[in-house]
Amino acid sequence: MDIFTPAIWIATLIFLAISFKKNKTKTKQALKMAFGMGKGMLASILSIIFAIGLILTIMPPMEIADFVGRQSALLATIVAALFGTITLVPAFIAFPLVGTLVDAGVSVVPAVAFLTTLTMVGVVTFPLEKKEFGAKFTAVRNGFSFLFAIIIALVMGVII
Amino acid sequence: MTALKKVKENLFLVIVALAYIAMFIINPVMGTESIKNSGYYIKEMLFIMPVIFVLTALLDMWIPKEKIMRYLGKDAGFKGVFLSFVVGSVSAGPIYAAFPMCLMLRKKGASIRNIIIILSSWAVIKVPMLLNEAKFLGPKFMAIRWVLTVLAILIFSWISAKIIKDEDLPVESPAKAGLHINRDACMGCTICAKAYPELFEMQGKKSVVKAYDKQNLNLENLQRVIGDCPVHAIEYSEE
Repeated sequence: MDIFTPAIWIATLIFLAISFKKNKTKTKQALKMAFGMGKGMLASILSIIFAIGLILTIMPPMEIADFVGRQSALLATIVAALFGTITLVPAFIAFPLVGTLVDAGVSVVPAVAFLTTLTMVGVVTFPLEKKEFGAKFTAVRNGFSFLFAIIIALVMGVII
Repeated sequence: MTALKKVKENLFLVIVALAYIAMFIINPVMGTESIKNSGYYIKEMLFIMPVIFVLTALLDMWIPKEKIMRYLGKDAGFKGVFLSFVVGSVSAGPIYAAFPMCLMLRKKGASIRNIIIILSSWAVIKVPMLLNEAKFLGPKFMAIRWVLTVLAILIFSWISAKIIKDEDLPVESPAKAGLHINRDACMGCTICAKAYPELFEMQGKKSVVKAYDKQNLNLENLQRVIGDCPVHAIEYSEE
């Protein structure tokens, strides 16, 4: 067991206790909201997890690492970033997944690119964003996010 | 609800289930292996998901967002940029829940740059998620990525605001009178249907407004439900 999971639990429980002392109804509302959000997302989260389990069996992380390692760094990064844009994975699944890949030997640069576009750029949410903010706004925001995801990844490769 | 509709709504789930059935027929060993692989992520999810949702909901509840929103205009400068990061990092819900809120901010005069900052930080720099990232990828990895991401958002929101003009955004149609639910934003949490079952009901995964008589509306109850909706999807305006 690592220290982070208990740390988050304890911090949250303290926060919850303070919140409960300050305002009972508001806290109950927050708990209801948390439960509602969780319930609403559970089915899609479970299907994503089972899909990942299947994909990792067909393409074991070691083989992915081996394959990525044989490509040029820039190409691997761009492809990883592209993969990140089509999929929509909640962050708390994305982190253990990227952790698995890095542990298996995938280098940091493509892993970061994948992680950043995974959460920031969305082909799936594009139509929704376009409807609310117009085509130009959406294209500019997503375009820059993609570009900077690659820049972030490359800079991280230099630092780490 | 018809069976076909149910399949359509859970299309991804159905595809995954079919893939598993196929896998077990073709290669049962790999099928078992897939379930084992999934088990690791389910275990990790169960440890972390409840606390992340609770933490996000608490942050959403206690940060006085209404007060913050007044400082997001074009002339807000650094303060506006900073507060936009705060709003994005502590809000609850997936990224598509950010769209209706940002649209509302836009109506209240928030600048394009600050809206881009909110949307982007909403997606990548959630506070509870940072702890989760530190757990799986190490605190150093998390800290460096966090700094770089904030810098990147600062830079590209500044460039974007130069490219996008106010006229490029769709003109807001005047608010329709009556009671509406933004179906794109609703994430099916059922809070409204439970709090005011005479007015809201669940159809599939979304909430809908039942037929109602204006005379019988319990406005106090309605306002409370509007405030409780985690994604601010309910709108009400009197004729």
